[in-house]
Amino acid sequence: MSAQVTQRARPVPFLTGERLLRLLQYALLLVTLVLLLFPIYYMFATSVMTLDEFLRVPPRIVPGSINFDNYPFMIRRWDYVPGLINTIMIAGLSALGATLLGGMAAYSFSRATFAGKALMYSLLVASIAVPAMVTLGPIFITYFDIGLLDTRHGIILVYLAGGLPLAVLVLFTYYNSVPRELDDAAAIDGCGWFGTLFRVILPIALPGAFVTFLLLLIAGWNEFLFAFVLTVGPEIRVLTLRLLEVPSGTNIMQVPYDLYAVGGVLVLLPLVPLLFRVQKQLVTGITFGAVKE
Amino acid sequence: MTTSTAAPGAREHGRPRLLTGRYAIIYLFVLPAFVLRMLYSFIPLVQTVWLSLTNRSLVNPGAFVGLQNYQFALTRDKTLINSLGYTIAYTAASTILETVLGLGIAVLMMQRLRGRGFSNFVMLLPWVMAPLLAGVVWRVLYWEQSGLLNFMLLEAGLVDELVRWLSDPAMARVSVIVLTVWKNVSWVALIFMAALGSLSKEVLEAAAVDGANALQRFWYVTLPLLRPSIYLVLMLRGMAEVQTFEQILGLTQGGPGNATRTLALYSYQRFFVELRYGYGSAINVLLLLLTVAIGGVFAWLLYRSGTRVAR
Repeated sequence: MSAQVTQRARPVPFLTGERLLRLLQYALLLVTLVLLLFPIYYMFATSVMTLDEFLRVPPRIVPGSINFDNYPFMIRRWDYVPGLINTIMIAGLSALGATLLGGMAAYSFSRATFAGKALMYSLLVASIAVPAMVTLGPIFITYFDIGLLDTRHGIILVYLAGGLPLAVLVLFTYYNSVPRELDDAAAIDGCGWFGTLFRVILPIALPGAFVTFLLLLIAGWNEFLFAFVLTVGPEIRVLTLRLLEVPSGTNIMQVPYDLYAVGGVLVLLPLVPLLFRVQKQLVTGITFGAVKE
Repeated sequence: MTTSTAAPGAREHGRPRLLTGRYAIIYLFVLPAFVLRMLYSFIPLVQTVWLSLTNRSLVNPGAFVGLQNYQFALTRDKTLINSLGYTIAYTAASTILETVLGLGIAVLMMQRLRGRGFSNFVMLLPWVMAPLLAGVVWRVLYWEQSGLLNFMLLEAGLVDELVRWLSDPAMARVSVIVLTVWKNVSWVALIFMAALGSLSKEVLEAAAVDGANALQRFWYVTLPLLRPSIYLVLMLRGMAEVQTFEQILGLTQGGPGNATRTLALYSYQRFFVELRYGYGSAINVLLLLLTVAIGGVFAWLLYRSGTRVAR
């Protein structure tokens, strides 16, 4: 956020106690942010507590001592690094594939006229409304029959197909914002279908493609249901799934809350720098897909 | 430009010719995405509808039984009826709360307060979290014997005894809704922030000149202008919440008993745990009908509000 935007054009004062109102607004903002952030903070706090400290009565909001021992333990016992690499591969490849295929389809939808265009576009968009749970059963049975169950490409294909409507929607909007006059100018210069795509459309739409890729990457990272049903092998199970497979700690009778918290941090943390870097683009990305149809 | 016979469907410009290189390329670009998406959406959907009319299971290749699954589900299966009721109540409560609170947060965030970048970042965190992870995080907070939530409420004197967040059926139903609202409210707020940002300033200024106070301006000007966005949010959130599966799995696993077993969790139980494909599919078709009903109603309202504004 640039400072200029916040300082320009303050709203007309409509109450005599404008300062009081400001104060109230900041208080409300603070409460909102605390409520939204606190559970995540507490997960971090729990992750650096020992189980004994976590179980102590009364519980602590701020850990008495910071203890990172849980992290190496979990990274080893939970096979974090292979899980991480696997998750990056599955989420990354499916996001890349969906952005590519969706981007190609969006180009045809945006720049060409062909039989079945309206029908195909409507079906693609309408498929967003098909609940995942409703498709899961037949996909499971089919995968079982054709041997795609518990394979990496099987799950990548599911995510890829799941990401396509968003990719088509967002990129279609981006392509449409590129003026047609540029196409015509490119056509006069002798650019064909591919020339126009690479020289005119893509340079302008690349930020859109990047946002799409990131949104799909996050979606793939966090997906659970399909991975839960379609994968079994430990070398294929993604990180979200493995939250259900947290090893027990020293005391096997007690739920290892501290280790769950470590697992949670380890699943969430890789997304945080990404979020930092692209939050503004993500905000426009989300709204692009949703508000602009 | 081609001047010869236009291809069917090429009404606008008569540009592409059937089976010329360009026409083939157009389809080559569209079809991979289209075919793949259909393979993973509408085709399994049709298969689910077909399966729901059979008694297929892991051990039974299945015979056509007509509407028998539905008949059993809706008349004899008490768990299903309860699950259906809870799914509807859960969806309505969480969708409405998310919309109201999200709108409130959006209005607050649009007041040109400082630290907007930081606020946006914090708001995105619950949204960017895996739902299952959100469930696990809240399970720690809700921990009953000496969890933090109970401790703080006791200390503040708001409750006299430990609240049974997850072990009391009625309470667990509410706890699940709180989790869902926490997880998704920021997404709603972001949509409304974008919508508020695109409202015409002139109308609001005109209302201020006419002497309307802030509350009146919000109620009589902003809110009606936001109507399409509100319908959009209700539609998208409603359709998402009705399918809720993972965060409930992370928090209560559908329990205690079946108190928080939404339709998605229940159909999962039948289809993938008991491997009763036919019956599980019938429940999924009910879930589908609910989703389509929610989507249909709000899409219609959205469409109507759009045409009204256009006039």
